Amino acid sequence: MARTTGRSDHGRDQGTLGEAIIGRTTRVRGRVSGEGNLLIEGNVEGDIALTGDLTIAEGGRATSSIEAVGVTLRGELDGDVRASGVVRIEAGARVRGDVLGESVSLEEGAEFVGRLDGTFDMPSELGGEGRTGGSKRR
Amino acid sequence: MADPTLIGSGTFVRGRITGTGDLEISGRIEGEVTCSGEVVVESSGIVGASISARRILVRGAVKGDLVAEEAVILEAGARVVGDLRAPRIAIAPGGMVRGHVQTGAAGQQAAPRARTAQATASKPAAAAASSSARAPAKAVAAPTATAAASRSDSRGDGKKQVAPPARAATRVGPPPPVVPALKKGTKALQKKR
Amino acid sequence: MASTVIGAGITIDGEITSDEDVIVQGTLRGKLVAKDAVTVEHGGVVEADITGGPVAVAGSVTGNISSNDRVDLQNGAKVVGNVKATRITIADGAQFKGNVDMDV
Repeated sequence: MARTTGRSDHGRDQGTLGEAIIGRTTRVRGRVSGEGNLLIEGNVEGDIALTGDLTIAEGGRATSSIEAVGVTLRGELDGDVRASGVVRIEAGARVRGDVLGESVSLEEGAEFVGRLDGTFDMPSELGGEGRTGGSKRR
Repeated sequence: MADPTLIGSGTFVRGRITGTGDLEISGRIEGEVTCSGEVVVESSGIVGASISARRILVRGAVKGDLVAEEAVILEAGARVVGDLRAPRIAIAPGGMVRGHVQTGAAGQQAAPRARTAQATASKPAAAAASSSARAPAKAVAAPTATAAASRSDSRGDGKKQVAPPARAATRVGPPPPVVPALKKGTKALQKKR
Repeated sequence: MASTVIGAGITIDGEITSDEDVIVQGTLRGKLVAKDAVTVEHGGVVEADITGGPVAVAGSVTGNISSNDRVDLQNGAKVVGNVKATRITIADGAQFKGNVDMDV
């Protein structure tokens, strides 16, 4: 788990249920992985793989491929997201990458460039399972 | 003010719909929709068409691209297979999309995507991707450049001059890398003789 | 039953098939097949064959009208095409050029 300077882990167990925080002035370069949740207020460069939830706070930034359960983006992300849970991209977020999640929501005001690949069926008139996406990206 | 256009749930329109005013779709459309007002695809709407309008609100199913001057809004229950492009895009929880989504003015090119350090490792394709506007040039230059570069490496000439033109080519255009490639080809032909 | 309304600013190049009422205030080029009433309002322009239930025209129709009910050409209507209906009225002020067939 990434450690931050000058920040306690709120007295919680950093094992399975804890939340780790990468503070505002902290910069991590390298792969980040672990159990529990992660809150990024600083800067991370490198892939992130969690069995918990990831939150990029406003002002936080990650240049990473992300694998997590739930993902909440309020800051900047350059990289893909593969979530097994709910992805929430809130107003103020700036995201560039492809996002895959059980459910993905995008608030008006968020900046987003990338693919969203939800899994759902279309009415039969429009092709039923319709695995093909939209027009080709340039 | 003109009445809004209503395509009722028992109606099927196959063709091109263009014009001014608002459009409310509860039925089925196949073709193309271009309108200067607001287009609403109701929950019973089934649209097999790209929609271009000032504002687009989807509660039903759309297979086609959605391009708006102001905003594209997908509400819970919306199902869209296609690209979304508008200055403001909102997808409510329960709104489902499969396609490329881009906020920002409709005319903008897709911004270059920075990848993690490993991904950007010297691949002409990756470098070329950053100048998406030059896509056709890239497609031609990259294979030639890579081929020329690998040929020079294997011959052990240490001709580093081939590599820089390859990278420059993806930025500038096809002509420069073709010259070194031809040189290599000529020598190969001589060899064959 | 709900109505389908083609608003005044809209042009449709193609076919409309409906099992409800259709009101045309805008422009249709192609084909219109409705199970119920068709109304071409004043200002509406239809360059298409119309098949429907009762048809009322106050706008312009260039095409054949085939109805299983009545066809009313109102004041201001301009119709060029054949009309097939069980009943027909052509109001004073309506312009009409075509054949009328009332054999059902």
